[in-house]
Amino acid sequence: MLSTLELSPQSLDTDAPIRIAVKNLDFYYGEHRALKSINLDFRDRHVTALIGPSGCGKSTLLRIFNRIYSLYPEQKATGEILLDGRNVISNDVDVNELRSRIGMVFQKPTPFPMSIYDNVAFGIRLYEKPPKSELDDRVEGALRRSALWDEVKDKLKSSGMGLSGGQQQRLCIARTIAQKPEVILFDEPTSALDPISTGKIEDLLEQLKSDFTIVIVTHNMQQAARISQYTAFMYLGEVIEFDATNNIFMNPSKKQTQDYVTGRFG
Amino acid sequence: MTEHIVRSYDADLEGIRRSLAEMGGMSERMLGDSTVALVRRDTTLAQKVISADQRLDNLQRDVEEKAVLTIARRQPLANDLRELISAIRIAADIERVGDLAKNIAKRAVAISGQFQPPHRAVVGLEHISRLVQAQLKDVLDAYAAGNEQKAMDVWRRDDEIDALYTSLFRELLTYMMEDPRNITFCTHLLFCAKNVERIGDHTTNIAETIHYLVTGETLDSRPKVDTTNILVDVAPGK
Repeated sequence: MLSTLELSPQSLDTDAPIRIAVKNLDFYYGEHRALKSINLDFRDRHVTALIGPSGCGKSTLLRIFNRIYSLYPEQKATGEILLDGRNVISNDVDVNELRSRIGMVFQKPTPFPMSIYDNVAFGIRLYEKPPKSELDDRVEGALRRSALWDEVKDKLKSSGMGLSGGQQQRLCIARTIAQKPEVILFDEPTSALDPISTGKIEDLLEQLKSDFTIVIVTHNMQQAARISQYTAFMYLGEVIEFDATNNIFMNPSKKQTQDYVTGRFG
Repeated sequence: MTEHIVRSYDADLEGIRRSLAEMGGMSERMLGDSTVALVRRDTTLAQKVISADQRLDNLQRDVEEKAVLTIARRQPLANDLRELISAIRIAADIERVGDLAKNIAKRAVAISGQFQPPHRAVVGLEHISRLVQAQLKDVLDAYAAGNEQKAMDVWRRDDEIDALYTSLFRELLTYMMEDPRNITFCTHLLFCAKNVERIGDHTTNIAETIHYLVTGETLDSRPKVDTTNILVDVAPGK
């Protein structure tokens, strides 16, 4: 059957441990209930894609994982998001420590107005004070892993703002992985990029999944089909269907999912 | 099925379905006509079948090109993708049905001047051809209606066709043994019978494709009762 086809990168390990478990999660923007009893398991070192029409709650879900919503007092989450058994939405969690474990890359590249080197070193310096030589190594390592090193090695001191959009996005990925997080959240990381840069980011995601658990929100169905092993289809704040990516895109079990992935609704 | 948000997508799929329906109708007619041509020794009708095959080939290429283009342009997923893959497969099966019918028509022309054995020799072929025509019609109807159950009925009935072919094979061997002058004619009939049986196999292929199209799953076993391979070993002169 289709689900067992060994097609890279769709090959999935159903025995992989669950890195993040979402249980009965509700989320409110003031009075508005934006997420309704979400239950999802995110497997270790796999790419899980969240798809669904605008306003379905996928970005909202992503923003709960590293508590970005905590910045806004009128927003509230109830339920559990267990990262290695600890509920990340409980009040006693150190948000800074959490964010060093769960990194995030946004739709628009967000380099800081500083040099390329300092952009990558920034995250490391925030939590650690490694000696200069070690810092150099980690910056280089992160830039290599994000496939940017060869393009920037001769201009590490120039501003990160001077890079192209695709390079800026890879710089942001380098900054994130330099902190050695366990989970990386991507919120439409390629929607502002040209096809070549998109290809580079997708290739990068494929490499990164051997070390990180990746959750990606994307509006590009083919992208989700290409890069993820699991896909959740969300609609109006609920998870309609969650399954292996091959099943979602070749033979979804719910009609709503089918209509969405084939471009009939959404 | 609900319409796509991009309406020209529906037009693309509709165009492919229409070409396939036309191909299906043509292949049914070709099998029917070639059988009649053979039984009545009507060479004019046989020539008509032979020249119709070109049109069927063109239609197949047309369906294939449209399907490939739609895949490239729309990146279809789920049932849309299965529909296009199925269209390519079914078009190939129907095209083969046309080739086999054309071969029967060619043999009808070839044997028109030959020594004629008793009429009962062609009755069996007429019978198996009628059954296969019904199979072909049913499976094409099942495709048009997206009726997986009906397709599976066709799939299961292939046993009968195979069994009938086996008995026809024996019968024709008997005629050849009775009178060596029958050999040329009966050999042609034997090939025609085999062609008809192969058309039956293509209808089961189409049925399997319909099953895949509707359920998203592939069938893993297929019915097979054709035992002529074994028979050949024990046939006289072997």
